Amino acid sequence: MTDAERDPVLRRALEELRRVPPPDVEAMRRVVAAAAAARVTPFDAEPGILSPRRGRSIRLWVVVGVAAASAFVGFALRGAWTARTRVTPTFASSETVADSTNPTLRQVVGSEPDAPPIPKQFVFNSSQAHRVSVVGDFNSWNPANAPMSRSPDGELWSVTIPIAPGRHMYAFMVDDSLFTLDPGAPNARDPDLGTKGSIVIVGRP
Amino acid sequence: MSSFPLQRPAQAAGLDSRTISRAKLGDIDAFTAIVEAYHARCVRFARAMLRNPDEAEDMVQETFVRLYRALPRYEERQRFESWLFQILGNCCRTANTAFQRQSSRTTHDDEAVERMASSDDPAAQFDHEWSEAVRRALAEVPEYNREIFLLHYVEGFSYEEVERMTGVKQSALKMRVKRASDQLRTRLSEERR
Repeated sequence: MTDAERDPVLRRALEELRRVPPPDVEAMRRVVAAAAAARVTPFDAEPGILSPRRGRSIRLWVVVGVAAASAFVGFALRGAWTARTRVTPTFASSETVADSTNPTLRQVVGSEPDAPPIPKQFVFNSSQAHRVSVVGDFNSWNPANAPMSRSPDGELWSVTIPIAPGRHMYAFMVDDSLFTLDPGAPNARDPDLGTKGSIVIVGRP
Repeated sequence: MSSFPLQRPAQAAGLDSRTISRAKLGDIDAFTAIVEAYHARCVRFARAMLRNPDEAEDMVQETFVRLYRALPRYEERQRFESWLFQILGNCCRTANTAFQRQSSRTTHDDEAVERMASSDDPAAQFDHEWSEAVRRALAEVPEYNREIFLLHYVEGFSYEEVERMTGVKQSALKMRVKRASDQLRTRLSEERR
C-alpha cells in the first residue's frame, strides 16, 4: 500500500480525480471527423502505409506535370495573343474553365451558391480499391453523396456531379476509410481543420 | 481498508492489438473504436493537466488527430496507451505555455465561484466544492510533478512505464510523485479547516 492509499485526504482526492467524465458522443464524432480529414495519403509521405503504390504515383505525377506544363504554355500563348485578363487554372482537370474577364475575389476564391451548378467530372486511378467516393465541401464531406463508378477495365473510378462555380476543397474516400488527396490537383490547408485537401476551381460555362 | 483499484488502461479500454493494427492501415472504424475507448480518460487527464480546463476537449481532439496521422509510424512493441498519453502530455504542456503567456487564472477562479453559488442542492454543492478544491490544489502542483502524479496515480501507469514515457529515472519519478502528494495533502488539509 502506498502513502497515498494510506492517507484519507489523498484517497478522497484521488477518487475525485479518477472520476471519468461521461462519454460525449458528439465530441468523439468531431474527433473522428477531424482525424479522418487530417490523414493525407498516399502522396503526403506517411511512411509505410502505402509504399507499394509509390511507383504509380510517381508516374502519375510525371504525366500530371507534363500536362500542367503544356496547359500553362497554351494559356500563356493564348493570353499573349488576346491580351486579356484571364483566370488561369493551375490544376489538371477534365473540366474546362471558361474565360472570365475582371474576375472578382469571390469568383476566384469562394464558391457562388446562387450560380447554377456546373457538372464536374472527378477521376481516380486505382485498381486495388473496392469503393471510392468524392467528398468535399460541396457534398458535406459525405462519401454516400458521390460514390464513383469503376471503369470496365477496373483501373479508373469516375463520377460527374454538379457543383456551384468557385473554389472547392475535396478528396477521395477510398474503401470508406482512406482520405486520399487527388494526385492530379493542387492541395491546400483547410482553414477550419488545418489539414490538407485537394482544390478544384469550377468555372462558368 | 480497501486498496485503490488502479485502473489498468488496456483493460479499461478493452482494445485488442488487431484494432490498433487496422487503425494503422487507415481503417476509420478501428480508429473510432480507439477514440471511444480512450476519449473520456483523455478528457479527464487534460482537465487535470491544463491551466485552462475549458481547452481540454480541443487538446484531446488535437491529440487524436496527431495520433491518427502518426499511427503508421507506431511500433507495436511500444504500449499503445503510453504512446497516446505521451502525445496528450505534450499537447497539454504546449497549451499551458501558450495560456500562461496570454492569461491569468483569475477569470477561471471567478467562474468557479459563480458555478458554486448557482447550486441549490447542499450535497451537490459539497461535492462541487470538494471537486473545485481538488482542482485548485492540483493546479498549484508544479506541472512537471503534476503530470507524473496523474500518470501514475490516476491513469495507472507503473513507474517503469512512466520512465519509458518521460525518460526520467524511476528514483526521480518517485520523488516527484511524493512531492506532488505532499503538496496536495497539505493544501487540501488547509481547505478542510
